[in-house]
Amino acid sequence: MTVSEVRALDVRALTKTFAGGRALDDVDFAIAAGEIHALLGENGSGKSTLIKVVSGFHRPDPGATVLIGGQPLAFGSPLASYELGARFVHQDLGLVEASSISDNLAFGPGFPTAFGTILARRAHARAARALEQVEIDIDPDALIGSLSPAQKTGVAVARALLAKGSASVRLLVLDEPTARLPEHEVVHLLALVRSVARRGIGVLYVTHRLDEVFEIADHATTLRDGRRVASKPVPGLTRHDLLHDLFGAALEHPLRMPSAAGQSPLIDADGAAAAMSGPVLSGALLSGAVLSVALLSVDGLCSEVLREVTFAIEAGEVVGVAGITGSGRDALCATLFGAGRRDSGVVRVNGQPLRRARPAEAMAQGVAYVPAERKLQGAFMDLTARENISISNLQKLWRWPRLRRRQEGQEARRWFDRFSIRPNGAVEQLLSTFSGGNQQKVVFGKWFQRQPVLFLLDEPTQGVDVSAKAELHAALFEAARSGAGVLISSSDVEELATTCDRVLVLRSGRIVAELRGAEVSPHAMSRAALGIDHQEPILPQGTMT
Amino acid sequence: MKRFPRSLGFDRFSGAYMLGAFVIVFSIWKPSLFATTATLHSVTADKAISGILALAILVPLVCGVYDLSVGATVNFATILSVLLVKNGWSIPLAMLIAVFLGGVIGAVNGFIVVRLKVNSFITTLGMASVIAAVQVIVTHNQQPLPPNIPIWNDITQKTVLGFQVIVLYMLAIAFVVWWALAHTPVGRYLYAIGSSPEAARLSGVRVDAYSWLSLIASGTIAGIAGVLYGSLTGPSLSFGGGLLLPAFAAVFLGSTQITPGRFNVWGSVLSIYVLATGVRGLQLVTNNVQWLDGMFSGVALITAVAVAVGRQRSADERKRRSLSSTRQLSAADA
Ligand SMILES: Nc1ncnc2c1ncn2[C@@H]1O[C@H](COP(=O)(O)OP(=O)(O)OP(=O)(O)O)[C@@H](O)[C@H]1O
Ligand SMILES: [Mg+2]
Repeated sequence: MTVSEVRALDVRALTKTFAGGRALDDVDFAIAAGEIHALLGENGSGKSTLIKVVSGFHRPDPGATVLIGGQPLAFGSPLASYELGARFVHQDLGLVEASSISDNLAFGPGFPTAFGTILARRAHARAARALEQVEIDIDPDALIGSLSPAQKTGVAVARALLAKGSASVRLLVLDEPTARLPEHEVVHLLALVRSVARRGIGVLYVTHRLDEVFEIADHATTLRDGRRVASKPVPGLTRHDLLHDLFGAALEHPLRMPSAAGQSPLIDADGAAAAMSGPVLSGALLSGAVLSVALLSVDGLCSEVLREVTFAIEAGEVVGVAGITGSGRDALCATLFGAGRRDSGVVRVNGQPLRRARPAEAMAQGVAYVPAERKLQGAFMDLTARENISISNLQKLWRWPRLRRRQEGQEARRWFDRFSIRPNGAVEQLLSTFSGGNQQKVVFGKWFQRQPVLFLLDEPTQGVDVSAKAELHAALFEAARSGAGVLISSSDVEELATTCDRVLVLRSGRIVAELRGAEVSPHAMSRAALGIDHQEPILPQGTMT
Repeated sequence: MKRFPRSLGFDRFSGAYMLGAFVIVFSIWKPSLFATTATLHSVTADKAISGILALAILVPLVCGVYDLSVGATVNFATILSVLLVKNGWSIPLAMLIAVFLGGVIGAVNGFIVVRLKVNSFITTLGMASVIAAVQVIVTHNQQPLPPNIPIWNDITQKTVLGFQVIVLYMLAIAFVVWWALAHTPVGRYLYAIGSSPEAARLSGVRVDAYSWLSLIASGTIAGIAGVLYGSLTGPSLSFGGGLLLPAFAAVFLGSTQITPGRFNVWGSVLSIYVLATGVRGLQLVTNNVQWLDGMFSGVALITAVAVAVGRQRSADERKRRSLSSTRQLSAADA
């Protein structure tokens, strides 16, 4: 029997029940060798859970079978899954921050050794080759912690593909690999995925970006509430078909996809909108700069370089930041908020200068910051959702002699409703039990609750599904309408194009272009970010059907 | 779905059931020795100091900071308060000074951990050694005699409803720490720092200040424990080190109780008594072998950590099975 006749993955009758309920319900599906199979579904529909069963992390309910390369998988054993040839790039990447790239690459297949001693030079060379394969140009001795999200994704892919001895790779699983990749790197990644598939390896590809499905997938399977609702070949599918599979009847009221501030309110009438114009905002000036930045520089020892960055954000403005990895885009919001150090420059919020590296002071001025690294910087995985939402707002809940627990719970539940966080109302569950997209929404709840005057957002909608993304954007527009300033740094140029009034493009730490109004298009941004002459005519975006 | 179901389930109160089991087994085994109110009273009083020390360890541990110096601190506070009293200082003032010194030791620990960025494990291990050395300098390695003042002993040994009053002190301190950790913003901040210091900083929590504060609290509580020990048992040059491990065992075992997965006050207090009862019972059965306490605490510490890791899986598994069976039933109906 040749490799190509054996299926890369065959899943039958897969059910997985957690303490909170069922995440997967009797799911069947299969991936042929060399096939690229997209797995789609709303936040919390069970995609990551399915992957974690295949990787041996979760044990499914009895009755399920999983075959990898035709061999049955012994459940609950990551080693068994590895030995059958399954490789994974998880949503949270699973890299060790404090170790170097070459060490991280060695954790799976092991270090090259002679008599038990690590051969550092050989490990280094192997890492360099692996990085070359995924076209990342960084020193293998660099610490993971010093890399940008995009670079980390690349390292995780490189690690997954590293061969170990004779064990041949049958299946490569990518859980939202492009959630934080800029457009041109997405192109690289997709090319890489295609070449992997050509080697006869089956690819399971999870994404919320539907365009990618048409670009690379041969087959698409959709989950809804843990059930498989569709599994179809991609040729012949339309975007509408996919949306219909994803959201079912809910699609009947069309997706709310506002394009800019100043539109009719999209907020449900249950008082959530009222919260947007709370005490902090009414004190803010409705005209004038919410944020003004003058000659901001960062030397780049601990993060990316920024050079004399100068700009301002008016009240009610939604401003985007575009740029490739290493352009300073990843560092800008963090530096403004005080998460990282700045070397020189002045940052003012509503005219008040912010001292450097003082997040608490920035917050006191009404600044909110959603970091790109949710798991490490944005949220507390082993606290409950309620505690995650209230942490920045505890003074309001404190009445001698104790915190108002009931009020805290109600507040958390309000944000669960507002952003449709699933499972519904489960505010007492640990955050680690929520799906990636729902965790991100919890982080939004935490900040919105403070009614900020300035939002600094790094990759704000990473891992969030199409409809939830629209809800989060709507909430930001609502805040902008009541006078807040919004700064969105995103690798997703489509997102910037649909949300921003104005986009700053960074290259090598400097602002090299400022696009406004009609100039704000994905192509213009990418071109400016890459330094391609932007006198060339800007082509209209091809639309997907 | 609640994370902490308000039930008396085995998952949250295994310690209490274990305590019950110990009591029943040893009462049947050694009825005349074990099942007496005297045993009850002496165990509760004996372990009150350990309980207070466990609370001292608990506070910094919540925010991920280890304080291994509390054993030395408690010892030094005992010696200091006794020496001061014997040199004619008034009892309240002597106590206050010893407790204050505990706080100062905590503040120094905090400075080293927060400002000099030295790992807390290393810092407090070193500090323990330094305090022990200072104690030798102060006492010339001569164990002072207990002060011959009746009030000095009455402070902890007076009985209330048959229990020595020290037990009430311990409960009062436990109550205050519980309130601070579970019902105030400070407690929340500490748990948040313990979960992710970086996320806490970016949520506006003053991580350095609270980590420092937690060490000052642990030093102060250890100081209180030391002063009370001096009154309860009299001065000793070396008791402190021996209390450290049982206290750690109790705190870790406690993190599997009541609110599993979290270091917590009542779990720690419960665990102190579960361990104490086990040890006392075994001592009676084996005629007081010397190594029992150490063996029991060491095994308990390791077991507690292993249990804490294993419990989450089994909880999931149980729930899953019950849901699966209801699914089969409803499938059969259809
Ligand atoms: N360890 C866990 N304990 C309890 N519930 C869990 C656990 N892990 C996942 N769940 C639940 O299972 C459901 C499916 O989650 P999963 O992470 O598979 O979603 P997903 O499809 O990957 O979503 P996303 O697009 O947001 O990443 C969610 O409701 C989630 O809350
Ligand atoms: Mg997921």
